[in-house]
Formats: sequence, C-alpha cells, structure tokens
Amino acid sequence: MTSLRIQVNGQSVDTDVAPTTLLIDLLRGPLGLTGTHQGCDTAQCGACTVLIDGQAVKSCSLLALQAQGRAVTTVEGLARGDTMHPLQEAFIACHGLQCGFCTPGMMMSACGLLRQVPQPSDAQIADALEGNLCRCTGYVNIVAAVQQAAQTLAATGEKA
Amino acid sequence: MSTTVEAARYGSGKAVRRIEDPALVRGAGQFTDDLKRAGQTHLVFLRSPHAHAVIKGVDKSAALALPGVLAVYSGADLVAAGVKPMGNAVPFPRPDGKPGASATRFPIAVDRVRFVGEAVAAVIADSREAAMNGAEAVMVDFEDLPSVTDALQAIRPGAPVLCEQAPDNIASEMKHGDAAAADAAFKRAAHVVSLDIVNQRLAPASMEPRVVLAEPDAASGRLTVTLSSQMPTAVRDGIATALPGLSKEQVRVRVGDVGGGFGMKTGLYPEDIVVAHAARTLGRPVKWCAQRLEEFSASSHGRDLVTKAELALDANGKVLALRTRSYANVGGYAMTVGVVIQLLIGPWVSTSVYDIPAISLHLTAVMTNTTPTGAYRGAGRPEAIYVIERLMDAAAREMKIDGAELRRRNMIRPEQMPYKNPMGQTYDVGQFEKMLDQGLALADWKGFEARRAASKAKGRLRGRGIATFLEWTGGNALSEVVTVNVLPEGIVELTVATMPMGQGINTSLAQLAVDVFGVPLEQIRVVHGDTDRANGFGSAGSRSLFTGGAAVQVASERTIEQAKNLAGEALEASSRDIEYRAGRFTIAGTDRGIGLFELAAKQPTARITADGDATAGAPSWPNACHICEVEVDPDTGAVEIAAYASVNDIGRVVSPTIVRGQIEGGAVQGIGQALCEAVAYDRDSGQLLTASFMDYALPHADGFRGFKTVFDTSVPCTTNLLGVKGVGELGTIGATPAVVNAVVDALAAAGLGRDAEKVQMPLTASTVWRALQRDFDRPDWG
Repeated sequence: MTSLRIQVNGQSVDTDVAPTTLLIDLLRGPLGLTGTHQGCDTAQCGACTVLIDGQAVKSCSLLALQAQGRAVTTVEGLARGDTMHPLQEAFIACHGLQCGFCTPGMMMSACGLLRQVPQPSDAQIADALEGNLCRCTGYVNIVAAVQQAAQTLAATGEKA
Repeated sequence: MSTTVEAARYGSGKAVRRIEDPALVRGAGQFTDDLKRAGQTHLVFLRSPHAHAVIKGVDKSAALALPGVLAVYSGADLVAAGVKPMGNAVPFPRPDGKPGASATRFPIAVDRVRFVGEAVAAVIADSREAAMNGAEAVMVDFEDLPSVTDALQAIRPGAPVLCEQAPDNIASEMKHGDAAAADAAFKRAAHVVSLDIVNQRLAPASMEPRVVLAEPDAASGRLTVTLSSQMPTAVRDGIATALPGLSKEQVRVRVGDVGGGFGMKTGLYPEDIVVAHAARTLGRPVKWCAQRLEEFSASSHGRDLVTKAELALDANGKVLALRTRSYANVGGYAMTVGVVIQLLIGPWVSTSVYDIPAISLHLTAVMTNTTPTGAYRGAGRPEAIYVIERLMDAAAREMKIDGAELRRRNMIRPEQMPYKNPMGQTYDVGQFEKMLDQGLALADWKGFEARRAASKAKGRLRGRGIATFLEWTGGNALSEVVTVNVLPEGIVELTVATMPMGQGINTSLAQLAVDVFGVPLEQIRVVHGDTDRANGFGSAGSRSLFTGGAAVQVASERTIEQAKNLAGEALEASSRDIEYRAGRFTIAGTDRGIGLFELAAKQPTARITADGDATAGAPSWPNACHICEVEVDPDTGAVEIAAYASVNDIGRVVSPTIVRGQIEGGAVQGIGQALCEAVAYDRDSGQLLTASFMDYALPHADGFRGFKTVFDTSVPCTTNLLGVKGVGELGTIGATPAVVNAVVDALAAAGLGRDAEKVQMPLTASTVWRALQRDFDRPDWG
C-alpha cells in the first residue's frame, strides 16, 4: 500500500492504496462516489470520465497513484451545493439523457471542453465527446445541452 | 399560483422535466453496481474461449487454494446441487414434424460448450480481484470440436452438429400464408423482383453492463436479488424454478436504475441463477458485474436473418404477392424468445401498411456456435419491415415508378379499417397515405433533384430513401395493475410493475396521475422494481404506456371515488355531494372541504389506497413515414446522412419531449445497423471478433443531428383507454430501411443501376467503396 494525497471535489483526501488500484475503483469503492460509472474495460465508453486539474480523463485508465497531489472532480462535484451546474440544468432541459448511465461521463467531458473552449461549435462539441458513447439519445440532445450550457455560462460570466 | 394552474403545466401532453433526471445528473442514480453490502463477495465467470468443445474435466483445486477464494462451481457442481437448467420450450416443430429442438442450456455448461463466452465455471471470492485470479487458476480440459457460425453453412450436410435432436441444426420452422395462391400470383405477375437480404447480427450494447447482487436472509430464508432488468417478475419466477426448495414467495427481485435495456435485459439469464445459488449456498451477499467482453459474448444478440425475398406486381404496380425464404441464426441454444421473434413476430408485420393479398413465408431457425439471440429493439419487426421496404424500392426501380408513388398505390386505405392482414393481425386504425403525404412535404421530396445536382457539384453522390411502415406493439401482454397510495406527507405514490430503463416511463405515468389528481408533478412518486410490491410482464415491446399508463388512470380515478366516500364521512355529508378539484374535496356549493392529504392522514392506516387494472383490447399499431437523404463520397465510400425527416402516427402524446427522444434516439440505433454495427465471428475458429467497443462500431457523437421529426396525433388508438400507441421501437424500425434505401439509390444513380441492390449492411465506407467497384459480399446459399 502507498499513501496517496489528492483533492476530490475540493476536499483533501489522505488514504492508502495498492499500486494496482485504478482511480475509478478508488472513487467508486472507498470514496463511495458511485456517480462515476464503468461501462467497458477498454477505455472506449467514457462513462468513467472525471476531471483531473480541469482536464477530462478516463478514470478507468489511470492508476489512483497517478493522481497524486492533483485535484479530481467527479460528477458529484459539479453542482454548487443545491444549485445545479449549468451543464446539469441543460442536460435536463434539453432531454440530453435517457438512461443516465453515460451522463456523468458526458458532462465531465463537456465540462473539460468548456473550460478550454468556452464557446465551442457543434463540431467541436462532437469532437470532444468522441470518447463518450451513448446508446439512448442519438447524441442530438447532448450536443444541444452542451451548447445551452455554454450560452448560460457566457451570459453569467461563470467558468465551467 | 394555484395548484390547478401549476398542475396543468405538468399533465399529459405537456413537455416536462423528467422526474428521473435530477438524481441521474447529480450522479446519485441507483444502478445495481452502486450497491455495496456488508460482507459482500464477488463472483467472476470463467468463460469458454472455444466456439464448440467437449468439457472433459474441470480442475478447481488451484483456484480453491488461492487466498480469498470461497467457492468454485462447475456446471456439474450445480447439477449435483439440484440447480435446474434454463426452462426453454422451443416453439414450432422441426421440418421432420418432431418438436422444436435445442440443446439444454445449463446455467454453467456441463459437458459441452456451444459458443465463445458460455460460462464454464464460477469463482466466488472476498474481492473481485481474488475472484478474477481464481477464474484464471481454474483448469478446464477442453476437447475442441469443429464449429459453425453461419446459418447457411450450418444447414449443409456434414456441418458440425450442436444438438442430437437436430442433426441438420434446425431448431424449428414455420410456414405462413398460402403458398399456392402466392405461387399463382407470381406466375401471372407482370413484374417480379427478387433480393437477397442479410439482416446482420447486432449487439444491443446498453451502456450499463448487466449486474446481479443476491442477498440471503438467514432468518426468513428469503433471497433478495437486485439486478439490472426489464422484467423483475420473470426473473423472480425463473430463479424460484431453477433453485431447489425455493418458492416464488421466498424470492424478492428489486431493480433500481437500469442503464439501458433495448430488449436485451428481458427475461432470465443463466448468470442470474448462478449468483442466486451462490448467495444461498454461501449465506453471504454475492455480486457479479459483467465486463464489457462478457456483454458482447454472453448477453443476447439481436437480428441475424438472411432472406431471399420476392415481390410480384401487376402492370400497374399493385403488389400481388410477397414470397420469402428466411434462415434465422438463433445461436448455440434456440431460446424461446429468439425463435418466436424471427418465426412469428416479424411475419406479423411482413405486409406492413400495404394491402397485399397473398403471402408465402417460410422461416427456419438454425442453431450455430454463436451467442443465443433474443429481443433487441424492434425484435422481428425491423427485419420484416427492412425486407418489404427494400423490395418496394427494387420494384419501383424495376418499373421506373417513383418509390413513394408505388407505395401509395399499395397502401391500405382508411376505409378498410379495421384491417386484417394476411397473418391474421388486425389494425384498428391507420391513415398511412396521410403520413406519406406529410412525410413527402416535410422532406421536400420534389426538391430532391436540385439537391442531388448540388451534391454532384461537390463531387458527392446523393441518394434518397423512404420507408413507410407500421409496427406491432405490446408484447401480447396487454394487462397491468397499479396501486395508488395517497400519503399524508403530500405524496401520491404509484406502485407499478412497468420498468424505467431510460425511456422515462415514470415521468409519463406521473403526468397521467397529475391529470386525475390535479396536484403538481413533484407530488407524484413512482415506485418500481420490487416484486414484493408489484408484479407483471415488465417493460418490453413498447407496451408500458398503453397498458401501465391506462392502469394509472384507472387506479387514480378509483382512488378519488373512494376518497369521496371518506371525505363525505369526514365532512358529514353525502359522498354524492362531494366534489374534487386539485387536491381538495368540497361539499358542492359550499366552501367547506378537506385536503386530499389531510384526508389521508385521518385514515386508520394513514393513507388512502386503491388498485386499478387495465387491459388493452389489442396491440397498438404506430406507423410512420421516414425519409432519409445521404451523400456518398465516391473516393472513400464514406456515407453521410444529409437529411432525415419523419412523420409519426403515434396516437395521443403524453410526454412530447420523451416521445421525440424515443424516435430520434431510436432512429440513431437504426442508423447504426444501416451504417456501422455488426457482430462478427471468425468463420474457421468461431471466435468472436467484435468483443469490445473498438471492434463493434456504435454510432458516435459526430453523427447526424438535423432530424426533422413530426408527430401526427390525429389518429388515436381505439383499443386502449388512453388512445396512445407504443413509441419505443418505431424510430429504430424505420431508420434502417430509409438509410439503406438512400445509399442504394445513390449507388444506382451512380451507374450501378439495379446492381446496387446487392449491397448488404452495414454500409461501411469499405463496403460502399467496394460496391462502387461492383464487388459485393453475397449470402452463400450453397
């Protein structure tokens, strides 16, 4: 076991992990953050996407220790208290989710995009979501939701 | 704002925010793998790497010696423990008149494996890692057998045989219609068109893999099984039947959030039995979570039907007869559902929206060394509609008639309703030509040549495809029961046996309750997925709204009627003088009254309860006109969807946002079949080649987003209380033929003519590019 210090959703976490523990297993297991989902074993579905220091990464493909000293944001960290993040609001408003299994990963990928490109084109959104699979929506409303969130953020001057 | 105004915003017909969504977007969903129990153990399956092999022995000793490993089961161990094989009646006889045949499917293979991915051992350990290590340490002595994965190969003499009762690998067979009448029609026909049509095997691929958690309760002897399923009651009954000394009453099945089902999560799976058995035997909670590899290899596949299809027409383009010869590849075990879908349900819609006097359909279910097939969105109807819509375009091309015009000449007219089709299925209502006309207008059918010219100027080949079609919904399970509880805390609780799985059915049910109760949507709570509280068929076949929704309305109205009596008592008035409006009972003509929830609090049980049941009189028949335009890059063969318009007759609409999501999301699944998806096996080894999302191509976000989707609500269904028609599968069924017809049109116009019709799905860039060089993969009829 190796000691690990990371920030998760703004909280400092000190724990011991095995060198083989994947970040997703730390999040879903000991930390109880089950909003991050595992849909495949080969880093293709993107349901496990989280932000590390603001960048979208697939937590199934990263050892927990690789996040040493860094800040991890999961879907549970998107909302500001009771106030939903504009992405969460937009996914609901645009019917950007059906079964909701891919949704946390979709929103985290989108959040990573909006931090880098606050006003993306539809093509840029589709490109950023290339690593996230959805079987229900056909992506139509997901792209619309990301656009709506971008507009909300621009209007309020907030950062994603 | 009064509750009435508030409620009116959320009742049926209104676009609302789904009640499922807030938890899901916060990551607070309750998917089965999110549950973690004290003392929980983990089960991992060892699966066959062989398509076909004899199991000569299973050596568990090395696995059992590993730290953390608690138990290892082989198939023989389960048999010795009295665990029964999967119940499976193969419907319809074989060609020799003997009963339908399949090898017996044990929860874990006993002496032989018949497909790659079939379970050969289960290892239970303290941790998932220990269970995986244990599975690697189980030594199975396989003797490899020759395998066959293609239906047309499997029926040839000398092909490897999967089941002794079927030396020809034929599980069962069905003939429908009047062969003599059809043959006579073909003899006198002015035009005959014939196509080879391959409807390739697909993986349903819900994003959430299957997960099963079984927990024994020593005190009560009961077993609670939580899993991701569309049919909790079927799982409960199946587990009780399979495990020795366990009654239905001793099994409780619970389902939380389901991360997509698409038909694949219907019914009982072998893994459900094994996990339940392990929990009972070990006396500890046992969880199994499928890896994606297992989902691809061991969850039901869909489609896989190869057909020689012929259409006979008179000189005016009136269809005289439809004749097909089909072989369905149902996999290593012929499962009841997989056989029924191909041999009966598909044929029910084979003549679709057309008045075709004679049919002759001959379908054979063939066993091969592949994953057993079952339900996948559409389940038989996509296959049948694809056949007739491809034939319609071929006939139009043959006769040099516009495809829309040929369809119009053959459509069943409104005055023919109710209309009994040649399969004996009765359509209650339908205005098919009206949908066609609206579809043509929406797609600007007449403006196509200008768009084709514009595409040509860019170096692209433009094509246009149309599908006019209907589908059968309801799964022939047309009854539902719903319980309403009015609770003092201000909640109207609906307990239902239908299952949300992404389609948002709970929101639609809640909207129907708002219609009756007149309270805000937030005050409706829907309880689902608990066989201790409600039982029924579950959610499949686009049935949930027109059966379960009707039951919600009945139960809600019954609750109000009953509560009027209680209000009369409380207000010391005759119940006949009690009026109800928006959460409040009043004595007519006075201002004396009592609130619904206050009244509930006054009851001895602190609630007002009523059951309601509803039975639809028949399936509903949603129908539509879908029109697609594509652009093909002749240098690469890449296909792009350029436009997609659809007009959908779905009867009354309860939740417009959800309906649009079902049609468009469903259409993308249909587009996936048309353009990119296919399960592939290696012909020699029987190895599954598409076992990850790297190899099995799901549509991605960079696909098409310009849907024009219209609902026509002017033709309500007449055989259910609500007037609604099932909408869960319509988009998937229409999209595949619309897209393929468009690509064929583009290729035909590029100089291939009728040769273009030889192209087979999925229309990947390489397939289309090869087609442009007149290089086609064709079914090998032998």
